[in-house]
Amino acid sequence: MRRQRWLEFKRPIPRRATVALGVAVWVIFFALWEFAVAQAWVNAKFMPPPHVVVGTLYEMLAGGAFVVDIGISIYRIFLSFALACLIAVPLGILMGSFRRVEAFFNPLVSAWRYLPAPSFIPLLLMWFGTGDTQKIALLFIGVLWFLITIIMDHVKAVRAELIETSMTLGGSRWQILRTVVVPAAMPNIVVAMRQMLAVSWTYLVIAEIVAATTGIGAVMMRAKRFLHVDQIMASIIVIGLLGLLFDYLFRLTHRRMFRYLDERER
Amino acid sequence: MRGAVASRPQTGAKLSVSHVSKSFDTSSGDVIDAVVDVSFDVAENELCALLGPSGCGKSTVLRMVAGLEEPTDGSLMLDGQEIVGPGGDRGMIFQTYTSFDWLTVQQNVEYGMRLNGVPKGERKARADHYIELVQLEKFRNAFPSQLSGGMKQRVAIARTLANNPAILLMDEPFGALDAETRWTMQELLMIIMESLRPTVLMVTHDIEEAIFLADRILFMTRHPGRIREDLETRFKSGQRIPDKEAVTGLEGYADLERHIMHMMREESPNRERRA
Repeated sequence: MRRQRWLEFKRPIPRRATVALGVAVWVIFFALWEFAVAQAWVNAKFMPPPHVVVGTLYEMLAGGAFVVDIGISIYRIFLSFALACLIAVPLGILMGSFRRVEAFFNPLVSAWRYLPAPSFIPLLLMWFGTGDTQKIALLFIGVLWFLITIIMDHVKAVRAELIETSMTLGGSRWQILRTVVVPAAMPNIVVAMRQMLAVSWTYLVIAEIVAATTGIGAVMMRAKRFLHVDQIMASIIVIGLLGLLFDYLFRLTHRRMFRYLDERER
Repeated sequence: MRGAVASRPQTGAKLSVSHVSKSFDTSSGDVIDAVVDVSFDVAENELCALLGPSGCGKSTVLRMVAGLEEPTDGSLMLDGQEIVGPGGDRGMIFQTYTSFDWLTVQQNVEYGMRLNGVPKGERKARADHYIELVQLEKFRNAFPSQLSGGMKQRVAIARTLANNPAILLMDEPFGALDAETRWTMQELLMIIMESLRPTVLMVTHDIEEAIFLADRILFMTRHPGRIREDLETRFKSGQRIPDKEAVTGLEGYADLERHIMHMMREESPNRERRA
């Protein structure tokens, strides 16, 4: 047998090795960081070592106030995303199915896609003040237009033969929409939602560092005023972990919902 | 049509295609005649094959029968009724796989009946019958992603037949299958022809397939598509023989095949180079 080398082109590796390597990269990252601070290569005031950040994170969570801010941020994400889906899913499906609907809405949707959502912050502040409504409005317009376009494209990609099969079995337009177009596009629509939820987290931070008193972003801006770098870093970690968690939950839902898909298509 | 009295000969034809033409507008503004003045009838219980080189418009003719395309000229009648759009009385089987991924084999076969409001008990019984007919009993709860190509086409056949169409339309149904599976599927279709006696209009570019399966072969020319010859497979003496080997051994098979090959070569776009 040929000698097993450590690096081989495209050779699959055992699952345990995947996990071990994935953990190792983080261990090395944090170890280097600790080492750099201990050696005073960087100023501990602006770059506190990981163990301090973790300690701060624990204190913040134990204090309770931060948990409320996390809750507020999640609430903003959820409400804005649910509203965006409520409009984008049916509209995207109709635009992808019928050329006339596309011809009507697409010029509007395409134009909005090129307007950066944060540029609306001054307007939104004038209209809605600094409360939840303004934050949710920003997240909503940040996600909506892309979501509509992506869903439309996925619906357009539904094969014509599937629709024609239903037609020659006696399906009406409404039946075809409900029993062919929607189920055929649904796995990809859920993937699109997962991807856009990640974008939503980006807009959340932008929304909460401008004129905000609550939410994770606001906590970070307050910490900046008092040079609490450890608190800023702890907040960044929380945002990252929440993003990962929601992505994982979406992945899990996708797997549960679409068990019928071939392993390769997932 | 003013002045001209629509006098249609009242034959016993199941499907009647008369003087049908179809032209397409291209993006460059030209008009392409895909099908020109095609007329033919298909009798009840007949399996009629539209055969010809690629680009002869045979699929376009089939799609017009299905109601998926509108003719530019002429008319199509099924059971004396003008065809104006797609409907459940003209079930179509495509070359590409059309099983619905999100439904099991059983649900796929029940799909058409569900659309048409067939009550649950009858739906189940009819689906069972057709699943057995295509020999997929063991896979009734499987999803299409677990099936081979040939099995997916069996699902499509069972699903279409279970919907009880007046005519079965097939667009190169076995074209995507490997040679061995194609052969098995052709024999299965012959068994179905014997037991259910459906009326079938089938498109193919495979000469062997047409001779083996069809009672009648309509050979079409290329660009624009017209019917060049209407051939009956008389050498089979009206029998449906579900054994391809036996059919190829019959007297008359070779002559018909040679005749069609000759026409195919004449219609071939590479003809000049070969000569």
